[in-house]
Amino acid sequence: MDSPQSHPCRQLFELKDTATATATTDADTATNHNHNNHTAPQKPKLSSLSAADLRSEFAHHDPAVARINNGSFGSCPATIIAAQHRWHLRFIQQPDDFYFNVLQSSILRSRTLIKDLINADHVEEVSIVDNATTAAAIVFQQTAWAFAEGRFNKGDATVMLHYAYGAVKKSVQAYISRAGGRVIEVQLPFPVRSNDEIICEFRKALEQGKSDGHKVRLAVIDHITSMPSVVIPVKELVKICREEGVDRVFVDAAHAIGCTEVDMKEIGADVYTSNLHKWFFCPPSVAFLYCRKSDETLDLHHPVVSHEYGNGLAIESGWIGTRDYSAQLVVPEVLEFVNRFEGGIEGIRKRNHEKVVEMGEMLMKAWGTNLGSPPKMCSSMVMVGLPVCLGILSDSDALKLRTHLRDCFGIEVPIYYRAPKDGEIDPITGYARISHQVYNVVDDYYKFRDAVNKLVNDGFTCAFLSD
Amino acid sequence: MDEVPRANGESNDHSNPSKKPKISSSLSLITQLQIQQEFAHHQDGVARINNGSFGSCPASILAAQRRWQLQFLRQPDSFFFNYLQKSILQSRTIIKNLINAHHAEEVSLVDNATTAAAIVLQHIGWGFAEGQFHKGDAVVMLHCAFQAVKKSIQAYVTRAGGSVIQVELPFPVRSKDQIIAEFQRALVIGKANGRKVRLAIIDHITSMPSLIIPVRELVCICREEGVDQVFVDAAHAVGSVHVDVQEIGADFYVSNLHKWFFCPPSVAFLYCRKSPLSLNLHHPVVSHEYGNGLAVESSWIGTRDYSSQLVVPEVLDFINRFEGGIDGISKRNHDAVVDMGEMLAKAWGTVLGSPPDMCPSMAMVGLPASFGISSDDDALKFRTHLRDHFQVEVPIHHQAPKDSKVGSRNGNNCITAYARISHQVYNKVDDYIKFREAINQLVHDGFTCKVLSQK
Repeated sequence: MDSPQSHPCRQLFELKDTATATATTDADTATNHNHNNHTAPQKPKLSSLSAADLRSEFAHHDPAVARINNGSFGSCPATIIAAQHRWHLRFIQQPDDFYFNVLQSSILRSRTLIKDLINADHVEEVSIVDNATTAAAIVFQQTAWAFAEGRFNKGDATVMLHYAYGAVKKSVQAYISRAGGRVIEVQLPFPVRSNDEIICEFRKALEQGKSDGHKVRLAVIDHITSMPSVVIPVKELVKICREEGVDRVFVDAAHAIGCTEVDMKEIGADVYTSNLHKWFFCPPSVAFLYCRKSDETLDLHHPVVSHEYGNGLAIESGWIGTRDYSAQLVVPEVLEFVNRFEGGIEGIRKRNHEKVVEMGEMLMKAWGTNLGSPPKMCSSMVMVGLPVCLGILSDSDALKLRTHLRDCFGIEVPIYYRAPKDGEIDPITGYARISHQVYNVVDDYYKFRDAVNKLVNDGFTCAFLSD
Repeated sequence: MDEVPRANGESNDHSNPSKKPKISSSLSLITQLQIQQEFAHHQDGVARINNGSFGSCPASILAAQRRWQLQFLRQPDSFFFNYLQKSILQSRTIIKNLINAHHAEEVSLVDNATTAAAIVLQHIGWGFAEGQFHKGDAVVMLHCAFQAVKKSIQAYVTRAGGSVIQVELPFPVRSKDQIIAEFQRALVIGKANGRKVRLAIIDHITSMPSLIIPVRELVCICREEGVDQVFVDAAHAVGSVHVDVQEIGADFYVSNLHKWFFCPPSVAFLYCRKSPLSLNLHHPVVSHEYGNGLAVESSWIGTRDYSSQLVVPEVLDFINRFEGGIDGISKRNHDAVVDMGEMLAKAWGTVLGSPPDMCPSMAMVGLPASFGISSDDDALKFRTHLRDHFQVEVPIHHQAPKDSKVGSRNGNNCITAYARISHQVYNKVDDYIKFREAINQLVHDGFTCKVLSQK
């Protein structure tokens, strides 16, 4: 059995040498880089996690699966699941008392911690919602009203990335197109080599939006695209939006918190959303929606209207009918968990990035392919090219290959189909989006490497997979 | 057969989910002790006579929910691709049979009635925005509609240019004929200047004050008076009154399952009768399923915990351990709450707010006039006082009397407040005795709400 020193986990993280989880005092601030000593209960700081602790925190993950897809559904440590159960049970025990005396102050506490984490100015700017999909609906519904009520002219534009998340595209259709807005998609190259390529395409799209005397009413910019996954230079794009007179900028940062740096004042968007259950260890599901204080933000509403309607989005979102709000209440416990790692969330993020790039390069060398973007445009996820001989020729092939890897090799990894462009000879048409989170071990990626090598050796192509 | 442990969260015996499960002769009925164990997590010492607000969930269902949650957490991708949709469909199919809907597509699962109201009203809002409805066309609602629904009407209908007709319902009320007459009158007046009524929102069981509304008759009146569509807000209905959507005949019908149907928070169904209009209902949280029908849209609104939607099969098993299943439970709840209500009214010298046949599993019991509860604020403070000082959990309704001749009397004074007592399977007579004694104590002490305002 691996000793803590030689266990693969050890190689990935600089764990402290504590054998048992005994409480230490707050004097040890060297490892706590987070500016959050304002959690209401002043408890002694827990010692950091040993390798054994870490394993047991994620022991509920299916051990037979190389789980290299943290990006899709995230992950939640056992400690947090237990904390969530406790909150849940408190409600169930005496719901009226919980509703009147506990719920709102607990949600406010979570919002306050998030506000500090993301460098927002006011806690009213931070609302908690289920997920980025909900946040998008909130933003787009406001835009739809503006068209319906005549503040925007039919044909005014919304600019979004071609690689915007599927749900977001549908939401734009459901609210903005339906209300008379025009949608312009920014065509991004992939593979991509530098930020300049993205910035160039974005400028072109803005020009298009402003043609014929129309205004660009809204820009929807991913912070980290989903498929294919690339870190977008949001700060630069927001600046360009301001220069070009775009009314409002909405950053869809579903993946961002815990995966890249998130500073509202730095980025400068009007509205910014990120899930907390993807890379921030919260249970499913919870996200924050940041709305910079302005006249327009007064008109943002949660689409599920309760008696709180008109009291501000944060308050409206704090009660949308009887539901289980427990996932929103564990943010304090999550912060405690995160601070048991060297460097807190920043340390985790940095090490995830380094490791996923390392693993991506290992895989690409083993398969003779390439990465979809340079390391500095990768977050805790990397797009790794798959061997051309696998014959991934459609979105359907990509999904079938993913299923095949799950069912026959115990590997969970999403596959992206990249359509060939004119003139390309034997291009790579399939990319795997590998993730790295604290529970991953090198063996997960070796397993994937070997599976693909086997498929290549066996002469496998996607044509063999039935519908 | 039902004793097989469900280790992986999957229910067994669902090879034919459309078959209504019968009580297996090998299963004995649930005992009193088992019922107490199922609700042992309820806070000790509290007379919990408010099942109506937040419902209740037995321990075995909570355990089933945990198993579903864990299955997702263990391997979420596999759960998403291989289990989630078919498990939701299983729940929807059971509900379809329960409410006598014709097609599973007519049954969508959403978080709660508040969400369902937003879905229906957003659809009406688009009708105005896109010019199918004219500015001034009306939506009809009951004056005592749930506050969230009123706000939703404001947010989607009034904002889009629609007008609102409110139907004042009498309370206290003596018979459903009073309600029918009042509704008919208000509808005719509301349409008087040629307004078209695009939607009527009718509660099946009002929240505060709580009454069973004769929905079937009111839906008929709506049809006769040319109302376009009828939405029945039946948040409390499933598990406390018989629900047959064919009989009721509404276009849209919503009920929570976490109030009286033992599901964990939270889950509700929205029934939408198949028609060309129902194709245009959408969940406001738009996902990649947009356009595939409301039921499918609602089954994926982004990454979330859907586990409370998945335990409907387990809940049916639980219910069928009771004599008479859900019908037996609701009948006994009704009988008990009326019993207890009459006991309290007698003890305090007050009255019930409605005749027993208009009470579901809740009853409105008049409080002594001497308390001087004269506003909604007083009512809330009084409720808090009961919780904090007497460990009694019961919502209080303030009823402003129209004139002193019409209101109910308590001695020489008008009753201005009613307690909405609930009865669910976990309640005991002691819960109501505790409440009775608390009120008697307060009367004896000469308590009035003025005392609370001084805090």
